[in-house]
Amino acid sequence: MTDAPPEPTPPPLVTVNDLSFAYGRGPTVVDTVNLQLHAGKVHCLLGDSGSGKSTLLRLLAGLERPAAGSITVGDRTVSSANRSVKHIKPEHRAVGFVFQDYALFPHLSVRRNITFGMRHRPLRERKQAALDLLERVGLSDYAKAMPHTLSGGQQQRVALARALARDPKLMLLDEPFTGLDTVLRDELRDVTLKVLRDAHVATLMVTHDPAEALLVADTVSVMRNGRLLRTAPPEDLCVLHPRPKGPPSVRLLDSPLKN
Amino acid sequence: MADTPPSTSPETLQDRSPSRPVFSWRRFIPSPWTLLALCISAVVALPVAVVLYSITQDSGDEWAFLAEFRLRNYLTNTAYLALGVCTASAIIGTTTAWLITTCDFPGRRILSWALILPLAVPAYLAAYAYTDLLQFSGPIQTWLRERYGWGRRDYWFPDLRTVGGAIFILTATTYPYVYLAARTAFLEQSACTLEVARTLGRGPLHAFTSVALPLARPSIAAGTTLVLMETLADFGAADHCAVDTLATGIYHTWHLISPDNLTAPRIAAAQLAALLLGIVALAVTVEALARRRAKHHQLTTRFQALRRQRLGLFTAPLAFLVCIIPVVAGFAIPVCIFAHMAYTTTEERALEIAIDHGSNSLKLAAIAAIICVTLAVLIAYAHRLAKGPLTAFAARFASLGYALPGTVLGVALLIPLTFLDHRLNDLTHALFNTKPGLILTGTVFAVLLGYQTRFLGVALALLQSSFQRVRPSLDDAARTLGSGRTKTVLRVHLPMLRASVLAAGLLVFVDVVKELPATLMLRPFNFETLAVRTYQMASDERLELASYSALCIIALGLLPVLLLATLLAPKARRSRRILRGSRDTLTAPQ
Repeated sequence: MTDAPPEPTPPPLVTVNDLSFAYGRGPTVVDTVNLQLHAGKVHCLLGDSGSGKSTLLRLLAGLERPAAGSITVGDRTVSSANRSVKHIKPEHRAVGFVFQDYALFPHLSVRRNITFGMRHRPLRERKQAALDLLERVGLSDYAKAMPHTLSGGQQQRVALARALARDPKLMLLDEPFTGLDTVLRDELRDVTLKVLRDAHVATLMVTHDPAEALLVADTVSVMRNGRLLRTAPPEDLCVLHPRPKGPPSVRLLDSPLKN
Repeated sequence: MADTPPSTSPETLQDRSPSRPVFSWRRFIPSPWTLLALCISAVVALPVAVVLYSITQDSGDEWAFLAEFRLRNYLTNTAYLALGVCTASAIIGTTTAWLITTCDFPGRRILSWALILPLAVPAYLAAYAYTDLLQFSGPIQTWLRERYGWGRRDYWFPDLRTVGGAIFILTATTYPYVYLAARTAFLEQSACTLEVARTLGRGPLHAFTSVALPLARPSIAAGTTLVLMETLADFGAADHCAVDTLATGIYHTWHLISPDNLTAPRIAAAQLAALLLGIVALAVTVEALARRRAKHHQLTTRFQALRRQRLGLFTAPLAFLVCIIPVVAGFAIPVCIFAHMAYTTTEERALEIAIDHGSNSLKLAAIAAIICVTLAVLIAYAHRLAKGPLTAFAARFASLGYALPGTVLGVALLIPLTFLDHRLNDLTHALFNTKPGLILTGTVFAVLLGYQTRFLGVALALLQSSFQRVRPSLDDAARTLGSGRTKTVLRVHLPMLRASVLAAGLLVFVDVVKELPATLMLRPFNFETLAVRTYQMASDERLELASYSALCIIALGLLPVLLLATLLAPKARRSRRILRGSRDTLTAPQ
């Protein structure tokens, strides 16, 4: 296998086993997906829109219940199609989620957006914790600002700080950098992923931009029609395509696999 | 690692998954939120069930009496009234809306919101005011007689206590429903479609009748249906104009005293209520079907606002007159009459009475508003959590209560509540040898239940649309941040939508203050509200005593009207946003 690691890896933090899902009676959007996520590593999920990437994130967050298969964190099964296994609700999981539209609460200030998830901490610690987080993402001066006064990049960083506030073990990023201009995007990506790696968080990032995936990920999974076509370190995926033709994502998905 | 080779043959989920769940009943049990929504909407089902059940019961000679002597009168009057009010309202509402939207003339901007002012005047108050003004001993007739020296039989004067009078009064107070609907529809129309019609050789009037009117027809029909509902449900105005309709018939039959069978008139009233309910249900169904068909109307994607045409020397005053007459008739005259009455009255108790009963009204309305809004939030949130057919049904069913006429509601709630009261007393008598009295019908419970049934839909309609404007990702974000479903609605939705919640509460509050027939029937003994007191005073021909009360009702009724007016104003973006309840530039899809 091309993706065999050179040294023995620690056991995965999150294991996804044969996961399948469909909305109502609609078509299958996530189809027998197997995935392993490691603490401190960034895993990119690459695919076109409608390929089931975001749904996979929602399943990991516990916002949807799988139709088949299971999700295990450590040695605890948190989601399973088997109804005798208790479904851990999203509010009881140590999962951070940064949404594509950031989903900041418009009625709360930046600081209170961040303390929203800190109910597990004593009241007096919350304010200081929020300020610390804001400093980590470089927004110390904006604690009292309202979300709609912030730029897109600032909103994204608030969303990240807010997701980190619950000390998650797993961070889910749903196309967090789309809609930002290129310069800002590169800078923000570096900041975000550095913060996440420092916090030793397992990160699953969804993107439809192959360049982004290849640039930042430790592992890349290519997804299409709900299935994971391939999972490999980025350098292995690149080697396959010495002579690119057509748009990048098409190249990655359509070229024959050579071993 | 986790390599999954692409499969060539698509398989179904069921074929393959090893951990596929075994059949489980838990899948079919709705969530607690869904159950809650269904329970709340079931409250609306109670009166309907009671009324329908009454058909199977025997009301002795009462029904035969009704059928022989009254029913025909009830039905023809109701039909004339409905036809007359709907036609007149549709014509007035559409004409004024068209003039305001497409023409420019002096006073247009003020008239554009003044035209909805008559919504603040309940029809029964207009009826009291006009009969006072136009009656034989009223100022106009007295003046005419003095001026020309006429005697009693020397002249003809319009009589308000006829079907025609009732049509006039109901039209003057309900046409704004059509005006509002037509105006919004015209505002949404693109100038392109009209201009195309013009370039294809149609004159402005012809373009209106062949393009604008057909496009706006579904909205005008919806507005006219509201007028129809109000007319069918109206008790106060028809009663005061001495026009026997089904709604007044129910009330009077209920209060008939039958020497040999005490319950017979009540059953007959319930049977009349069933008849009225059938007519209302028919109207609602026809409108729903028409609206479903109207969904096919698609407007062009290129939107260009209509340009208003400046009117000339002769046409501008004409347009002004056409638009100001409804405002004067529906709002200015009744208000002036009551104000004049309050100013000149020699009755010192008038103000006292208004304050006394005002506090009753306010308390009742505040409690009803809080209950209604709470229940509406529960249903709207349940629908948001589970977008299934069950919650959709619950929401739609709960909204139907608005179509129940007040007298129908009165009858339909009094019958089961009286029954329950008696059984409760029997029970406590058997167990503890005491009788607590009328717990349900002797307290505000009954009247609050009635308000809840009738006005839940008002709050629900507003809250459902504002819930839709909160992006679903906010719910998901709150969930992943450790806040459960209940906490999410308390910490995210309610604070974001607080203005909508307040607006919904205000609408219910004002509707309760204005409501007459259900309050009249369901209130506890000797419990007077502004509306009830005004009704009693008007019946006793001592309207002066109620002048302050009437003014209070109208003043409160102005609040939601002003809210609507700010929404309709062209530069209302700011207030629209305030009403939507949040700085929700963020909640709109980007």
